[in-house]
Amino acid sequence: MSTDPTARDTSQSTALSHLARSPAGILLTLLTLICAAIWFFPIYWALITSLRSDQATVQEFGMLPTEPTLSGYIFAIVNSELPIWYLNSTIVSVSVTVLVVFMSACTGFAISQLNFPGRRVLWWTILASFMVPITALIVNHFIIIAGVDLLNTHIGMILPMLLSPVTVIVYKQFFDGLPKEFREAAVMDGATELQVFLRVFLPMNWGVTTALSIITFIGAWNSFLWPFLVAQDEKMMTVTVGVSAVQDAYGVAYGRVLAGAVLASLPVALAYLFFQRRVTQAITLSAGIKG
Amino acid sequence: MASVELSQLTKRFGGLEVISGLNLSVEDGSFCALLGPSGFGKSTLLRMVAGLETVTSGTVRIGDRDVTSTEPKSRGVAMVFQSYALYPHLTVAENIAFSLSLAGVSKAKKTEHVARVAAMLRLEPLLERKPAQLSGGQRQRVAIGRALVRDPSVFLFDEPLSNLDALLRVQMRLELAKLHNDLKTTMIYVTHDQVEAMTLADKIVVLDKGVISQAGSPWELYNRPANRFVAGFIGSPGMNFLKGQARHTGEGVSVTLQGGITLTLPPRAVAAFTGERTVEIGIRPEHVTLASGSAAQISGKASVVEYLGNTSFAYVDTPQGSIIVQADGATRINAGDTVGLSLTTAEAHIFDDTGQAWPHL
Repeated sequence: MSTDPTARDTSQSTALSHLARSPAGILLTLLTLICAAIWFFPIYWALITSLRSDQATVQEFGMLPTEPTLSGYIFAIVNSELPIWYLNSTIVSVSVTVLVVFMSACTGFAISQLNFPGRRVLWWTILASFMVPITALIVNHFIIIAGVDLLNTHIGMILPMLLSPVTVIVYKQFFDGLPKEFREAAVMDGATELQVFLRVFLPMNWGVTTALSIITFIGAWNSFLWPFLVAQDEKMMTVTVGVSAVQDAYGVAYGRVLAGAVLASLPVALAYLFFQRRVTQAITLSAGIKG
Repeated sequence: MASVELSQLTKRFGGLEVISGLNLSVEDGSFCALLGPSGFGKSTLLRMVAGLETVTSGTVRIGDRDVTSTEPKSRGVAMVFQSYALYPHLTVAENIAFSLSLAGVSKAKKTEHVARVAAMLRLEPLLERKPAQLSGGQRQRVAIGRALVRDPSVFLFDEPLSNLDALLRVQMRLELAKLHNDLKTTMIYVTHDQVEAMTLADKIVVLDKGVISQAGSPWELYNRPANRFVAGFIGSPGMNFLKGQARHTGEGVSVTLQGGITLTLPPRAVAAFTGERTVEIGIRPEHVTLASGSAAQISGKASVVEYLGNTSFAYVDTPQGSIIVQADGATRINAGDTVGLSLTTAEAHIFDDTGQAWPHL
């Protein structure tokens, strides 16, 4: 049996190329292409519609715009609060990402590495909280945030979005997997628990932290329901909420609406594009937990 | 440098007592090896000295301080772990300087200390590498460097060579011996490898299920084992044990083995008794020689022969039991040969039915 990974890769790629050439392989490829086309078509349609004029959107049904125009984009940028919505989305998403990742890492480290009264209860509480969908709590959140007068504020928008048991669980699992000698060596070297966490454990898991940061950022950027409830003033809206407001304001101006939607999803699309491997890693990490 | 004193040290994990009322004194500047089979409490004992494990009862003193409840960092000890525990995200230089940077030592001082340690351990060309880019032996040297930079009073080693291959282990053993000669710092070394313990230590402590079975110099442990456990554990291949009945005679102790063969051994420091007692004779393979004719006390058939070049070990089945004999490499013995054996009874040990040795006079 060969143990050379290169040899294994070569034999795997040979097997795959054989499969690709077989009738079953061709059928499978065709099926995959059809599924991909079905999935991609609405995105493609949104893109080409956003490049059509208002008149063309109701007259043309071709696969390419006859007279491409950026008027929809210019209108969305100039005549809406899009730059402010972008700013709001950035503030909320970055804050949520930084806080969720840092707090989850701290919690995961504490539960995994420290001995303190109630540790087990805390862990089971986090696991139990995982079973309650966030949407089921949204009314409670709204009442609490309204009660402390934080509606229509960034803090009010951010606070309920900080609940992320999955991130805590992923961190705990990673810290559990590290050999105890790392912690003991650091303790012998004179590190406090905080130094063990910040200077040894966290840097040893940058890959996980990056992956979780990206997926948390994407989740926060795409979130709609909670920002929609909290942001009552147009200047406090995030991009996702604002784009739905554009639709209301411009009626059936599909070109403008879809230009706004394309602009809204641009950061997430770019994040996917540049950090594809990390996003996949994050999904894999949390997949076992999300079931 | 400092001595280490353990008094009535006990460690329990729930209902399981892994160290029972242990007393041990490690002299200042000595090299003490804790030896014993896996799971017999060696590492737990070392971790209690380091402060990584709490003490159920008893005291740990390092130098003139009682450190039983002191934080590990304040005990003046440094530890080298079996798995090296090098921080993978830091370079060799950063790993070595980690404790100094935690202590807030200036950059210039850190560089100076790292250079000193790197020169001692020949790590200069590796300082900018990450642990993943090092070989096993280099990693082990970095782990030692990380301990060395702290100038500890006591070095603790937890099976530091067990992850290395045989050749590298021999090299690292020599380096550790040189290091101890140069530094003269107290070192406590946990191992289950008797060769490491015999070659490195001034004092070996053999642990048997959480209690000290015997503590002494390598010579004492090999030549004057206090009990059957130590006698069987030290030495490779192990000591031969032959059951028999002992009685006092005018010249010493006479032991009649199974098959009616009687051996006379020199007198032992044991209380006088009348009649016979069931004992075991212990004799090392090098004290059994091949003999022929009337010189042969026992005869048997060689079942396995291990040829090692300068020496051979023959496993001989005799009516008295299986006996390992160490023969000269030039002597040809084949499996299946019938051989005669002669025992050097002056070097034999006698163990009573509780396993305790009858001391030599």
